[in-house]
Amino acid sequence: MPATQPADILRACGIPFEASTEALGDVVRLEAAKVADTLAALYESGYDFLVDLFATDTGERIEVTWHVRAFAEHADLYLKALVDYDAAAPSVWHIYPAALYPEREAAELLGMTFTGHPNPKRLLTADGAEPFLRKSVLIRTAKEVRRPS
Amino acid sequence: MSMALGILARFGAMLVLLLVNGVMLIYMLRKVLGHLHLRIGPNRVGPFGLLQTTNDVIKLLTKEDLRPASADAWLFNIAPFLIFVPSFMAYIPLVFGPTLAVTSLDTGLLLAFALTSLVPLGVLMAGWASNSKWSLIGGMRAAGQQIAYEVPLLLSALGPVMMAGSMDPVKIVAAQSGVWLGFIPRWFVLPQLLAFVVYAISSQAETQQTPFDMSEAESELITGFANEYGGMRFGFMYLAEFSNTFVVSAIGTMLFFGGWQLPWVATPAWLAPFVFIAKTYTGIFVMMWARGSLPRFRVDQMLSFCWKVLIPVSLAWVVVWACVQRLWPVVAMAVSR
Amino acid sequence: MTDEPRITTPITAEGTTFPGPLPCGLRCIPRGVDELATEHLVLNMGPQHPSTHGVLHILVELDGEEVIAAEASLGYLHRGIEKLAESRRYHQVPTLLDRADYLSGLHSETAWALTVEKLAGIEVPRKASWLRALLMELNRYASHLVWLGTFGMDAGAMAPFLYIMRDREMLLDVIEAITGSRMMFNYVRPGGVAADLPAGVDAKIRAWLDVADTYLDENDALLGGNEIFRLRMKGTGVIDRATALAFGMTGGCLRASGVDYDLRRDVPYCAYPELDFEVPLGVRGDNMDRYDVRVGEMRQCIRLIRQLIDGMPEGEFSGRRSRVLKVPAGECYAAVESPRGELGIHLVSDGGFTPYRMRLRSPAYFNLAVVDEALAGGLIADAIVTLGSLDIVLGEIDR
Repeated sequence: MPATQPADILRACGIPFEASTEALGDVVRLEAAKVADTLAALYESGYDFLVDLFATDTGERIEVTWHVRAFAEHADLYLKALVDYDAAAPSVWHIYPAALYPEREAAELLGMTFTGHPNPKRLLTADGAEPFLRKSVLIRTAKEVRRPS
Repeated sequence: MSMALGILARFGAMLVLLLVNGVMLIYMLRKVLGHLHLRIGPNRVGPFGLLQTTNDVIKLLTKEDLRPASADAWLFNIAPFLIFVPSFMAYIPLVFGPTLAVTSLDTGLLLAFALTSLVPLGVLMAGWASNSKWSLIGGMRAAGQQIAYEVPLLLSALGPVMMAGSMDPVKIVAAQSGVWLGFIPRWFVLPQLLAFVVYAISSQAETQQTPFDMSEAESELITGFANEYGGMRFGFMYLAEFSNTFVVSAIGTMLFFGGWQLPWVATPAWLAPFVFIAKTYTGIFVMMWARGSLPRFRVDQMLSFCWKVLIPVSLAWVVVWACVQRLWPVVAMAVSR
Repeated sequence: MTDEPRITTPITAEGTTFPGPLPCGLRCIPRGVDELATEHLVLNMGPQHPSTHGVLHILVELDGEEVIAAEASLGYLHRGIEKLAESRRYHQVPTLLDRADYLSGLHSETAWALTVEKLAGIEVPRKASWLRALLMELNRYASHLVWLGTFGMDAGAMAPFLYIMRDREMLLDVIEAITGSRMMFNYVRPGGVAADLPAGVDAKIRAWLDVADTYLDENDALLGGNEIFRLRMKGTGVIDRATALAFGMTGGCLRASGVDYDLRRDVPYCAYPELDFEVPLGVRGDNMDRYDVRVGEMRQCIRLIRQLIDGMPEGEFSGRRSRVLKVPAGECYAAVESPRGELGIHLVSDGGFTPYRMRLRSPAYFNLAVVDEALAGGLIADAIVTLGSLDIVLGEIDR
């Protein structure tokens, strides 16, 4: 599916976005608050499979990526949105139940929340663990942990 | 010989037989399963690994006797004995030779089945008293399964009882001496083939061997009802399981395969116990063979198989055979006239 | 110990009531297992259990023997692989990925190599692609063998587990001859592979191919041909097409539910465009279909390995040999068809010697999410068997 078609859908919804084609593929950047509506519209028009959902710490904010796929045409699309630290993004579990686990993981490992998630517990780490995928949490050797300089 | 000494001697013989049996059967299971699974089984301790089980028993005896703090102390302690003692007592009606039996009871078979039917009570008790959810599930499954499968076990034994005319194992074995038509040994398995199949399936289920081992399904419940048991308490239950296997196989031998008798030749009295044990162990070998090859049934499939297939079939067979046995002399006389 | 305060992120439940109809036919909102209710028995399966494959902890809410709700509690094998990858150079990351999906490490390594090559624009010689495909197919067969054995054990049959070990030893000998290691390979590098096929491996592979069909038929007859097994598997653990797609399942589980998607054929990579193979498909999505699909894949593996070893080209086994790699800034995603499904690596690079962010899209992670849906309504025995049929590896789920 050419990059214009998701763009058409988004323009029809009246959602402000930026589309580009990069080494990654077709990328659409938009506001975090609008992601749920966008994905609902995309789901209706054929992007029926959530391949992956993850977040990256850009240094200033958290960038969440939704990787969806239109199965019939083997077409991949990436949605990206920027979220402040400890802020919220909408949960899309009601469109793609595949998002249930990745949202919990992104929430605990980067320190943010997904509003509307039915089971917002920690997934991979125990209580008291830092959101260590943030760049501010450094990897330390065992020696550094035992004897901080 | 005074009566007390005689009783003591028989008791001692039963105990020795039980222990040696347990040791040999556990070793045999491990070796049979090993070779079925392309491996060897125990071969380090003693020649061919024969001392493995004795070493295991010593290990179990020297282990700490643990009990979960929240388990019901009385029932937790008693349950292994309730599993073990009936299996031990079930050796009473077994007939090892023309004069070798602990005692001769008119209702020997009934006694054996009545005693083995006490075992599920102990299993249920062990499962409940452990105060652990996994043990509870195992105990409940055992209660359902073992109690259900006792019915076809008993019903399938009625065929040979009708043919022999008595429930005394000595008489049942004696009724299987001789030959039919000059060359077929008069073993009850041939006319009672259907009853034998039902008995074989039920005995596999009674002794909780795969494919009927839901109550101790290793990949689901770890050890099922015996989860919280360790040391010699577990050893007792383990030993009782093998003792049970020997008992049901021995009863099957007596009912269907002529007991201590060799086919076609008269059995000398000194050879009889060896023949009996050889036949019993062959039956146990077949049970272990099935155990090592087959996957297990699900609980509801197993129970529906018992209630909807085995019990009607064995009931029908009892009715059919009773009619046949009643009417056979009449028909024979009518034919010969 | 450090003086910094531990940051505990408040993961609060805001607005967790959902007003509309539930998506994709879900039974109920997946809130997890209610541990305080007393009418039902809440049981912990795992993390130590002979049957959960790895350290998986599943809470099941039971009503007698029937499962009312199930919830997976993960994290017992979490080692922070994605964070550690940010401090490893590009040639050191495969050592981490080997330990993610430890049963099919070569697939993770290949996915990583493909991603890095795509972003850095590195050319891979043809022989290296063929070698990668050969090792991946050998690894796939070995992984499916482990699945077959453990699946049999879940169902109660102990014999198949040891029978598959006999075959697996032959395969691991071959893999060790080629890569130098039975399990943690570190063989596929960005640019190619670490070493060429040694002399004598060809004969070993052909010796294995001679007996592979017979051994597979034996294993299949032991399990798939067994009436008790079929009785337990047919109709249990049904995951229909819509549910499978909704939960992001891929691989054998998705194909068993009737969706015809295989990355080797639909988005080909390495030597797969030049190879000829079929993709087995299921119909109902029950345990028996997942079993049949995987055994069918094993047969196709044998076919593929034969083609790969017959048609192995001559040439260089690696394009660039230097250990130090600087990848230009940007993002890239590449995926391979691992034994469990679509194993993808999303790489974010900032132009340095180490990746900025590596995300491992592990197929078993998404395959496991269906456990909340699929286990409910069945018996606990079915739950064990359904979990086994999903073919999960905790290493890649927890990372």
